[in-house]
Amino acid sequence: MSKPIRVGLLRLVDSAPIIVAEAKGLFRAQGIDVEISIEPSWANIADKLTYGILDAAVMLPPLALAACAGLRGPKARLVVPMSLSQGGNAIVASNAAAASLTEGGAQPRLLLLEWLRSHTERPRFAVVHAFSTHNLLLRYWLASGGADPDRDIETVVIPPEQVVASLAAGSITGFCAGAPWGEVAERQGAGKILLGTSSIWPFHPEKCLCVGEAWAEANPGLLQHLLGAVLRAQILCDQPDEAEGIAALLADPNGLNLPEEACRAALPGGAGAELIRFYTREAWFPARAHAQWFLGQMKRWKWLDEMADLNAIAAQVYRPDLLAAAVEAEGLYAAAGLPELEGAAMLPMPDDEAFSPQLR
Amino acid sequence: MKVLLADDDAERAGAVARILAADPGLTVVRLKSGDSLADAVASLAPDVVLVDMARPDRDALDGIRQVAALNTRPVVLFVDEDDPAFMEEAINAGVSSYNAIGMPPPDVKPILRAAVALFRRHQQAHDDLKQAEGRLLERAVIDRAKALLIKQRRMSEPDAYKYLRRTAMSSARRIVDIAQDLIRELEGSGA
Repeated sequence: MSKPIRVGLLRLVDSAPIIVAEAKGLFRAQGIDVEISIEPSWANIADKLTYGILDAAVMLPPLALAACAGLRGPKARLVVPMSLSQGGNAIVASNAAAASLTEGGAQPRLLLLEWLRSHTERPRFAVVHAFSTHNLLLRYWLASGGADPDRDIETVVIPPEQVVASLAAGSITGFCAGAPWGEVAERQGAGKILLGTSSIWPFHPEKCLCVGEAWAEANPGLLQHLLGAVLRAQILCDQPDEAEGIAALLADPNGLNLPEEACRAALPGGAGAELIRFYTREAWFPARAHAQWFLGQMKRWKWLDEMADLNAIAAQVYRPDLLAAAVEAEGLYAAAGLPELEGAAMLPMPDDEAFSPQLR
Repeated sequence: MKVLLADDDAERAGAVARILAADPGLTVVRLKSGDSLADAVASLAPDVVLVDMARPDRDALDGIRQVAALNTRPVVLFVDEDDPAFMEEAINAGVSSYNAIGMPPPDVKPILRAAVALFRRHQQAHDDLKQAEGRLLERAVIDRAKALLIKQRRMSEPDAYKYLRRTAMSSARRIVDIAQDLIRELEGSGA
C-alpha cells in the first residue's frame, strides 16, 4: 500500500460518507489507505487542498468554485469529481423573529418585507462561510421575498458549532447552517427552523468531494478507488436502517463528537424538518448545471465580474468524466449514460429569479 | 504598518509580538481571547492579519469583502505564487496571513516568515512534550502489567519484564502494546 490518501472534513453530518467508508472498511476493500483529517475551518480545507497538504476533502461547492475563480487569492486548481449530498440546511430564526415571520401560519417569505420594515437596525444573520451553499440559498430566499440581502440584513460568518450559542445569546437574529445545528437550536429552545433549504431548491446539491487537480491527474487509480468507496458509503448512508448506527458513528467522542439524536434526525428516515440525501436521485452526480447556478448567483451579487466565463469555470472544476471509471467499476451506472444525467439536474424554479428589492 | 495577531496561545503570541515589535515600523495588536476576529478587522483596520489556523473563526476572513459591513477594509489571503514551498511550510506550521488589498507582497512576507519560524519552534516543543508524556505513560502501562504478572502469576520482576519482552519480540509488536493486552486480559479476568 502506498502512502495514505489524506482526506479533510469538518464536524458535520454530511461528512458521513467518508466516516462510514472508513468505519465499514470500504476504503480497505478498495485497497486504499485513507487518513482523515478533521479541520476547524473551510478556509483550512481550501488552503490545504490548494497546496497539496490534503489530497481530497468534503467541500462546499461554492467555495471550490470561488477558489478556482480567484475570489480568495490566485486561482486555485481544484476539481469536483462527485457530489456527496443533497439538502440538509435550515434557515433558523430567534423565537421572537420566528413568531413574527410565521404569524397566522403564513409562509415566512410572505411576511419577510413587513418584518424587515419593523426593524430600525438591520437584523443580523450568520452563515458558515461567505462562499457557501448556505449563504447563496439564504440570499436567494431573501431576494425571492423582495429583500436586498446586501442592504436589508447584515451577514456575519460564524463557525457552525457556535451559531446556536450566538442565537441564544441574541448576538444574531438568525442563521442558515447545515445539520445538525438547526435541530440543535430547536432542541435547546434557542430558535425555530423557518424552513429547510430543500423547500427553496428541491434536491439542491450540498457538499461535494473536492480534490487537487494535480493529485487527480497524477493518481487516476487511487482516485477511482477513493470514489468507488465513497459511492458505496453513500448507498449505505441513504438507508434508513443504517441511520441509527451512522448517527452513533458521528457521535463518537474520538471522532466528530456530534450530538447523536440531532444527527439521527437529519439522516434518512429521521424526524427532522430537513433531511440529507446521499445517493438517491443521483445525489452523487456533479452536474455542471449546478456549478453554473452557483456561479450565476455569485455574478448576480457582483462577486464575479460581468465578463467572467461561468461555463468555462464550471467545466474546468466540475468533472463528471473523472467519476466514469468508478461508477462503471462498481456496476452502479453505465459510464455512457452519465452525460444524460446532466439534463436531469434540478434547478430552482426560474420564477424566483425575479429580483426587485422593494424596501426603503 | 499595523499587524493584528489572532492567536489564543498566549506564550506563542507573546513571542511573535516581541519579534515583530523589534521592527520600529510595525505596530502589533493582539486579538483578545473571545473577541470576534471579523469585528477586530473592521474596527482596527490592520494592514496585516496573522491567524492561527486552528481557529474556526478564520472563515470570517474569507470573502469578508463580499459579506461584511461596508466600512470594513477588505483583506485578502497572502499568497506567494512564486514560492509554493514557503506557502506549504506556513500551512504546515499552522499560520496564515491576510493583508489589506493593495499591500505589496514583499512587505508582508517577512512578517509571515517570522511568524512561521515561531509557530514551527512552538510545534516542535509541543511535539517533544507530547512524546515525553507518551513515554511516561508507556512506562506506567508496562509497570502495571509487571505488577499484575508478579501478583497473579507469581513471577519475579525481572522475569515479568523478560516475559513481556519475549512476547513482544516473538510477535513483532511493541512491549507497551503487549502490556496493554495483558492488562486487559488479567484485569478482565477479575482475579
